[in-house]
Amino acid sequence: MKRKTYIYLLALVPFLIVAMLYEIVPLLTVILKSFQSDGGTGFTLENYQAVFSKLLYQKAILNSLKISFVSAIVGIIIAFLGARAAHQHQGRMNHIFMAVLNMVSNFAGIPLAFAYMILLGNAGLIVSIGREFGIDMLANYNLYTMNGMSLIYIYFQIPLSTLLLIPAFDGVQKQWKEACTLLGGTQGIFWKKVGIPVLMPSILSTFSVLFANALAAYATIYALMMDNIALLPVQIAGCFTGEVKIRAGLGGALSVVMMVIMVIMILITNGLSRQFQKGGRRK
Amino acid sequence: MKKKSAGSIAVMLLVMIYLLIPLVISIIYSLFKKWTGILPEGFSIGNYASLFSDPNFLASVGRSVGMCIVPILLTIVIVLLALFVTTIYFPKLEKYVQIICMIPYTIQGVILSVSILSLYVGNKSVLSNRMVMLMGAYCIVILPYIYQGIRNGMRAVNMVTLIEAAEMLGASKIYAFFRVVVPNIISAIIVSSLLAVGIIFGDYVLIRNLAGTSAPNMQIFLYQTMKSDSTKASAVFVIIMFVTFVITAVVLFLKSREGKNRVQKK
Repeated sequence: MKRKTYIYLLALVPFLIVAMLYEIVPLLTVILKSFQSDGGTGFTLENYQAVFSKLLYQKAILNSLKISFVSAIVGIIIAFLGARAAHQHQGRMNHIFMAVLNMVSNFAGIPLAFAYMILLGNAGLIVSIGREFGIDMLANYNLYTMNGMSLIYIYFQIPLSTLLLIPAFDGVQKQWKEACTLLGGTQGIFWKKVGIPVLMPSILSTFSVLFANALAAYATIYALMMDNIALLPVQIAGCFTGEVKIRAGLGGALSVVMMVIMVIMILITNGLSRQFQKGGRRK
Repeated sequence: MKKKSAGSIAVMLLVMIYLLIPLVISIIYSLFKKWTGILPEGFSIGNYASLFSDPNFLASVGRSVGMCIVPILLTIVIVLLALFVTTIYFPKLEKYVQIICMIPYTIQGVILSVSILSLYVGNKSVLSNRMVMLMGAYCIVILPYIYQGIRNGMRAVNMVTLIEAAEMLGASKIYAFFRVVVPNIISAIIVSSLLAVGIIFGDYVLIRNLAGTSAPNMQIFLYQTMKSDSTKASAVFVIIMFVTFVITAVVLFLKSREGKNRVQKK
């Protein structure tokens, strides 16, 4: 009997082959190569030394951290307001809202870059309007800078974060609100003392998804800037696809740094979220 | 109470306006010859007409469709097989299958493409073929979605009991799986395949890094046209977004129908 069931393990083989060939082994190779000099063998830390000492890569790491953090925070705030609105209002509007969010959640990559080019590029519509009416803030908007592109990041964070947060609001019960009102609390106090703490685990996990999402964003940025911007994913891709020969060690080290940042972010948000869950139980 | 509701509507409207502006403007843009000032000039559908007579564009559409087929079919088959043996015979292994299936969530895009590239680029075997690399990468990218779709489907139909029932009626486990379970979860499989189509359709990173510009799909075609002719590019944009929305709408429709069926059954 035992023998017989082991034959069925064969059905796992195709899955394992694909996973090994295109997921596990490639990842391990990248990590391994980050500890080797290109062409050579043996252990070395020179790639990491380059990553942390060269100005370009330092800037790439800092920029990536900054834009991921800022866009995730802004995304969460807008998502919170949007999801709360959807929670407080029940009606036809909610269906439309959900439909728009779902639709736009797939609006990313090259098309998104294109739409923003038309809107805010050098000859973009909003920029022209700004020029025509003398609104300097719009007329001088430069999409092709870190700050300029932050609008794009925020754009693609909104549908994702709102869709992730809306289900969490189901956990905020009407009775709590009534209890809070009875005790003399206002709306503001309710959300500050009850609503947000209850939602905090969902908010934190959404935050880490948004952070990872922004950190890995590549297509939109590449479409606008090509390789000329200090951001981690762009620099990583540049190491492997540039005109010069492949720098697998350096690219590998940058990839490892990016993965480590993601893992740290997940650990931090998980840790914080556990704190909130514990706190809730104690009270 | 009324006032609060008005505030909520205003918030939702604002968010929707912000989200829809880039889309609406691009659609209007595609319908005019020129838009350099504030108002567009010269309504025409010439952009679309020239696009559909451009063999390069048609080829890119064909490639976008073609590139979906192999990875999606392959991934469905391997995940079905893997989940079949793990749930029936080796429940302990299910955890590991799940981990393997979930890793791509975090390493998608740039890291996955450069990992595959750096492993196979100097290789002499068939593995170094750019198209093979790309197909493999697509399998991994869609793995989490296909896995979750199929697993949720299996849970929803209560696969273990279903197979036991079929066995009692004299069927073998394999027969029960392929003739009873799979037909019952076919809608879950379709939904996750459509999600996968959406992902592969929207892919630019993997195809650029792995296949270069040798076999442009619609995304690369859009990228190339937007550098040269932005009104024509806007027509490509509209077509891409239209396809994406249709896929999303069908997914949502199938999901909501599924939800309703389940409620009715209860």
